[in-house]
Amino acid sequence: MAAAFFAPLSTAGVEFDRRKAAHLLRRAGFAPTEAELDQAIEQGLEATVEKLLADDSEQEAAFQQAFDSVAGSLLNVADPFQVQSWWLHRMVKTASPLREKLTLFWHGHFATSVHKVEDGELMRRQIDTLRRLAWGNFRELVQAMARDPAMLVWLDGESSTREHPNENFARELMELFTCGIGNYTENDVLEAARAFTGWHRAASEFVFHPDDHDFDRKSFLGKSGRFDGQDVIDILMQQPATSRFIAGKLLRFFAAPQPSEEAIAEAGRLLDQTQLDIKWFLRELFLSAWFYGEECYRRRIASPVEFVVGTVRALGARMPAADLNNHIQAMGQELLAPPNVKGWDGEQTWINSSTWPARLAFAQGVSILYSENAYGPHLPLEAIVPAHLNEPKSVVDRLAEVLFQGELADEARREVAEFLVKTEEGPNADVFRDDEGFRTDKTRQALAVMLSLPEYHAW
Amino acid sequence: MYSRRAFLQTTAGLSFVSLAGGVSPLLARAAELSAGADRNEHVLVVVELAGGNDGLNTVVPFENSLYYKNRPTLGIAKDQVVRLSDQLGLHPRMAALGELFRDGRVAVVQGVGYPEPDRSHFRSMEIWHTASTQKQPPTAGWLGRLLDTAPGANDTPFAGLSLTSSLPQALRADKVAVPVVAQLQSIALGTEGASPREALVRKLATSFRDPKGSGGAGPVDFMQRQAETVYRAAERLKDAASRYRSSTDYPDTPLGGQLRQAAEIINADLGVRVLFASQDGYDTHAEQADTHAELLGQLSEALSAFDRDLTELKKADRVVLLVFSEFGRRVDENASRGTDHGAASSVFVVGSPVKGGLLGKYPSLEQLGDGDLIYNTDFRSVYAGLLDWLGCPSREVLRGEFAKLELLKAQA
Repeated sequence: MAAAFFAPLSTAGVEFDRRKAAHLLRRAGFAPTEAELDQAIEQGLEATVEKLLADDSEQEAAFQQAFDSVAGSLLNVADPFQVQSWWLHRMVKTASPLREKLTLFWHGHFATSVHKVEDGELMRRQIDTLRRLAWGNFRELVQAMARDPAMLVWLDGESSTREHPNENFARELMELFTCGIGNYTENDVLEAARAFTGWHRAASEFVFHPDDHDFDRKSFLGKSGRFDGQDVIDILMQQPATSRFIAGKLLRFFAAPQPSEEAIAEAGRLLDQTQLDIKWFLRELFLSAWFYGEECYRRRIASPVEFVVGTVRALGARMPAADLNNHIQAMGQELLAPPNVKGWDGEQTWINSSTWPARLAFAQGVSILYSENAYGPHLPLEAIVPAHLNEPKSVVDRLAEVLFQGELADEARREVAEFLVKTEEGPNADVFRDDEGFRTDKTRQALAVMLSLPEYHAW
Repeated sequence: MYSRRAFLQTTAGLSFVSLAGGVSPLLARAAELSAGADRNEHVLVVVELAGGNDGLNTVVPFENSLYYKNRPTLGIAKDQVVRLSDQLGLHPRMAALGELFRDGRVAVVQGVGYPEPDRSHFRSMEIWHTASTQKQPPTAGWLGRLLDTAPGANDTPFAGLSLTSSLPQALRADKVAVPVVAQLQSIALGTEGASPREALVRKLATSFRDPKGSGGAGPVDFMQRQAETVYRAAERLKDAASRYRSSTDYPDTPLGGQLRQAAEIINADLGVRVLFASQDGYDTHAEQADTHAELLGQLSEALSAFDRDLTELKKADRVVLLVFSEFGRRVDENASRGTDHGAASSVFVVGSPVKGGLLGKYPSLEQLGDGDLIYNTDFRSVYAGLLDWLGCPSREVLRGEFAKLELLKAQA
């Protein structure tokens, strides 16, 4: 069913190689381990995509069980920092990286901040809802968000009444959550606000207060009737502007930072054809040749979460989630606290004079992880660079393979190789070969250097 | 609990990234230019009130019965305001700003806005930041375009600088890289002897071109340019911080911190022309009174401290500060004791070069546009007046002709 624009890679006569597999697993997750890459190549593109989209209810149940066993005792669910850290832990450990990645996408889309909600548990419940409905039908997701307690606090729905409709949610619903600006009038905002009156919350549950609801007729986007919030959302779902707007956002997050007008239009049509079925849409996208082409490949700038979680996963490193959280926040991204209701702007705005040094600090931090404790911070260096590699060039080539699938300029390789053998008394290849302690230390430092390369952050 | 603060404390002593590789020729050139720079260059500090500040409760029309009628719970009593005239008064928490007004150092421009006001935060911010009401506004903001046209702006990493956590659209430029210094003190770019690893990180971050051959527009090129700016900026800012000596106490608030950084940077004569700060939280849809009072109090105290500091540092005569918000709020309050997005509002221009007083006309509370105050001064007239003072071609920067507002004293 895919339009010619999203014609499958398999029909384009292009091989699904290691770099393409890594690209897929970065975008549809948080960067692969070498074993995952091997498996993707062995199984091929179609099977890899199906695996990404596979049912994961067992794992979901396992996470829920793990959460329940520590919530309220070891884990303070009211503390946003702990809820953030829990989510990061989950991103690192998940066997369904795509579901987690989509959850992050929807969090940036329905951008709700704990700074106003002031309740970590309400936020966690919202994230759980986003995760549960992440790749279902978009309509269902919007309906759920309109009744979500954290959202009702965030955009003031809880105080919106028949006498005094609060238009905050109604406006953002159209401007940012569904059809986008320019596709409705100020009057539509006022009418939609009336439709959502009486949609309140009691503690952490949605509640409908009929006395506060406006049951009169409303005119909304050219239609008229005794609409309530559900009707307003259903009308919004029929707007071609909605599928286009959502498809454009999905493309920018998963595929290309600045997709062409043509790509957005085609993606909008595709999402429309699938009747806003997110899983179907993503399957077509990930199978398409376009997704692996110039417009997309290594064209995004990794968000702090992608950079940190991706690095920890790819290297098989172990770092306490609280540390991951602190590093990510220093890079300018705080989970559960997007800067405003528009979410994170992303891309170039991630990089500035505070956040770039913070990225370098993490590169350094992860490369020196070490502990004698079985559960302590750990970097499996011997698995990344096997001990029998004792020539500087082979060590550099190996790191370039793990981090870049071999895609690294010769000049950079040469510089790093020179660095590996550098001692205080000048270059010494013998020491590097014969002194394992020296070699390990230098290799860790070289890893930090390579994680600091701008190329590594082009995701 | 493992807090962020604790994390920063434990890592504060570490030098994450030392600067190494010696002084680049470019940097040496920047230092040279800066050393010879015109010490009397004018500096504009822009303070954004994010979220849409309620102008009616900031500059209160206390003789207007319609005001109290529309604001049954939020209205501020006549005897509470800080008087500006026999009609208008500042919010009670803005006594410090009122004092500056009495000293003739504040221009209050009334009824500022633009045609066909948009009630979306993002759209309205975009309009103010780009100084354009075009549906497809330019990617560079009005301050970025100012820097792009300013002679020599590329010779210093500091022609423009943002004190916010990310680069505001207003400072996006086509030609000039504008650094963001969220936390000058904790930027963790120690300059003491760099290790070989740190030296290599710097060399590799700034010396390779995009392997994909994107003609300088790819993400890798972008990050390389940013990295270069970071290293250059960090060296100079560290120096600026060490040279700053002041007895002024700033309020311990985010804005107070940003304005203190602004003073450090202005004090160091780095060739800065534009600084950008922001105070967030003005989107007061519910239970507005306390939140708004707290925000305006913080604003007023920070502006006052900044003014005192500049006077002490003997820089006051070349610095002007502009305070704006993307829109005011609806005239009538809502049922949640808050206010919804509105339109026209007041703008403050503060500083010793400012011709103090009330400018423009307070909008009518009777004749409203869709429940909102109707503007009578285009915000670009404010910009034009400021650009003129900065010695920049306002027509070119604003891409159109706007009447210049006489905001400043005749220049000596």
